[in-house]
Amino acid sequence: MAQGKIIKVAGSLIVAEGMTDARMYDVVRVSRHHLIGEILELRGDKASIQVYEETSGLGPGEPVESTGAPLSLELGPGLIESIFDGIQRPLQRIYEQAGDRITRGIELPSLDRQKQWAFSPKAAVGDEVSHGDIIGTVQESPVIEHRIMVPKGFAGTVKSIHRGLAKVEDTVCVLTAADGKEQHLSMMQRWPVRQGRPYREKLYPTSPMVTGQRVIDTLFPIASGGVAAIPGPFGSGKTVVQHQLAKWADADIIVYVGCGERGNEMTDVLKEFPELHDPRTGETLMKRTVLIANTSDMPVAAREASIYTGITIAEYYRDMGYSVAIMADSTSRWAEALREMSGRLEEMPGEEGYPAYLSSRIAEFYERAGLVQCLGSDDRRGAITAIGAVSPPGGDISEPVSQATLRIVKVFWGLSAQLAYKRHFPAIDWLQSYSLYSDNLSEWFTDHVSPEWNELRAKTMRILQEESELEEIVRLVGTDALGWRDRLTMEVARSIREDYLHQNAFDDVDTYTSLQKQLLMLRLILDYGDKGQMALDAGVNLSDVINMPVRERIGRAKYVPEDSLENFDKIETELADQADALINRGGY
Amino acid sequence: MADKLRMGAVGEADVILAFKAIGAMTIPAVTADEVTQALHRLSRDKVPLIFITEAAARMAPEAISRYEQTPDTAVIPIPGIGGSDGYGTQRVRENVIKAIGADILIKQDRNEE
Repeated sequence: MAQGKIIKVAGSLIVAEGMTDARMYDVVRVSRHHLIGEILELRGDKASIQVYEETSGLGPGEPVESTGAPLSLELGPGLIESIFDGIQRPLQRIYEQAGDRITRGIELPSLDRQKQWAFSPKAAVGDEVSHGDIIGTVQESPVIEHRIMVPKGFAGTVKSIHRGLAKVEDTVCVLTAADGKEQHLSMMQRWPVRQGRPYREKLYPTSPMVTGQRVIDTLFPIASGGVAAIPGPFGSGKTVVQHQLAKWADADIIVYVGCGERGNEMTDVLKEFPELHDPRTGETLMKRTVLIANTSDMPVAAREASIYTGITIAEYYRDMGYSVAIMADSTSRWAEALREMSGRLEEMPGEEGYPAYLSSRIAEFYERAGLVQCLGSDDRRGAITAIGAVSPPGGDISEPVSQATLRIVKVFWGLSAQLAYKRHFPAIDWLQSYSLYSDNLSEWFTDHVSPEWNELRAKTMRILQEESELEEIVRLVGTDALGWRDRLTMEVARSIREDYLHQNAFDDVDTYTSLQKQLLMLRLILDYGDKGQMALDAGVNLSDVINMPVRERIGRAKYVPEDSLENFDKIETELADQADALINRGGY
Repeated sequence: MADKLRMGAVGEADVILAFKAIGAMTIPAVTADEVTQALHRLSRDKVPLIFITEAAARMAPEAISRYEQTPDTAVIPIPGIGGSDGYGTQRVRENVIKAIGADILIKQDRNEE
């Protein structure tokens, strides 16, 4: 392949000449250290290359060799429970071999070549198979059945198929193609990261991804196959929200991309996930998780790739028919990596120094999410739900990354510094946030949760909206100006905020709330509001309505464990009794 | 009754009985609950003018503030048997402060003293 020579080094960007045969996005090996790089720009025989490793000590004259292939991932059994860096190098095995820091130029295959997997065939000799068909399965973890698919470019009649233990590179199936040639399939396939994996048809999502987070599921639900953004200033809890979603979302597979954030946050994930149990399967959460880590101290060029690495792995599992959720924390760091590379490439800067193609790159990432009809002869469907954190400097979402993201995503969970300051977590601002899926999902909620769900949701939103209007009046002329009905509305809104929307991620019970419990909780609070209004109409004093003893129990309803939801009936009865007693005493 | 001015009176029976003579609906009330209920009943019957003795008004401040807010009801405190205890004046003063932001009645009070 083409061998060139370095003529310029600028941080993680190098320029090499003599690269006549090279093509855009080819992976190259730089210098005698064999550092991994990728071609970003070609001018004549000069190539600009972003190097995914530390470039100190490099100088002009050193060799650059093209591998002739774009940056590709190894896809096959062994991805689950792994932790990779931005270009899919296995961090656990690098640690075992080279210690705490990634040694420069280290070469290790992404998937373990020695591990044996029990392959059980799904196709039989004589079957016609083509791209996307499942030829066999491997139990990758106790909860994930890895489906081995025919890779792109392969099709034919099954000539022989293996059963039993095999390594990822071993031939498990031999096909006879239409031209009579034999094709050997292994359990592993490669896919270039910057190219979306194909599917048959993109569908409109109609079911939600249940997250167990009340403010999200009730007020701003995300569809399975949807895209969401979480913008918020520093310390407003983006990472905790992302972690909560990674822990409790009802997706089959979680891909968590730690992109330019603190190393400790990845450590939290690594420590917590093996200890937490998935409410649906009873297995630890790690058994369905793939981690991509490019923490803030790792090379910036690999950060740019990490997002693509994550979404390609997600697409691979989607193609098997799974529902996958990918969390990227944070896309702002990724955009900063783009900006850094763009600056070194001497491109004309756009807004705030970000490259002019920022929004198209962000769109490319989010557009790879969605609910699809997968390739293959069975009618399987897979979904990718993408959730990106955005860290706008100073919390001002008018900056380019937030704006470009908002143009694409349909769910916006805006975190507010003010709420975080008041210790209201998750600090998702209910007035600012929105979900454009809620109309499409309303039917699902009616069928699967309760016919009154949408009505309760709308009522909750209305009360919160009314509260903010009333607060304006209170700020201007004081509480005295409000009538009793309005004051009760404010009290109910307070209850919604404190007893419902506020959710403690670190409490064993409160951390996850099923939809059924959400319904019961919401109904309880709104019933209190209705009964309170009835009592006021009957002449009961506002203070008596506010100080009903049952409110203490309403406030603690969030700590009712999922297996004793019958307690809600008791609280409802108590509420009705106390309200009746007040109304009777009130007189008329 | 529609052509007449409807009135109500709430408080100690000795005081309000006199109002009965001029056609007011009188409801004797000496506890907080009784006062609240009386005010609610009059308000529900859309009685636009309610006289309440100062002693009764002091017992149920919450109910007074509620019916003060209602646009079609006026609640007027009246002195009880022992004369005024300053409740009415106090309310006027509070309203003046709210309206113009300063207590302009101070001087007048002092002059009176």
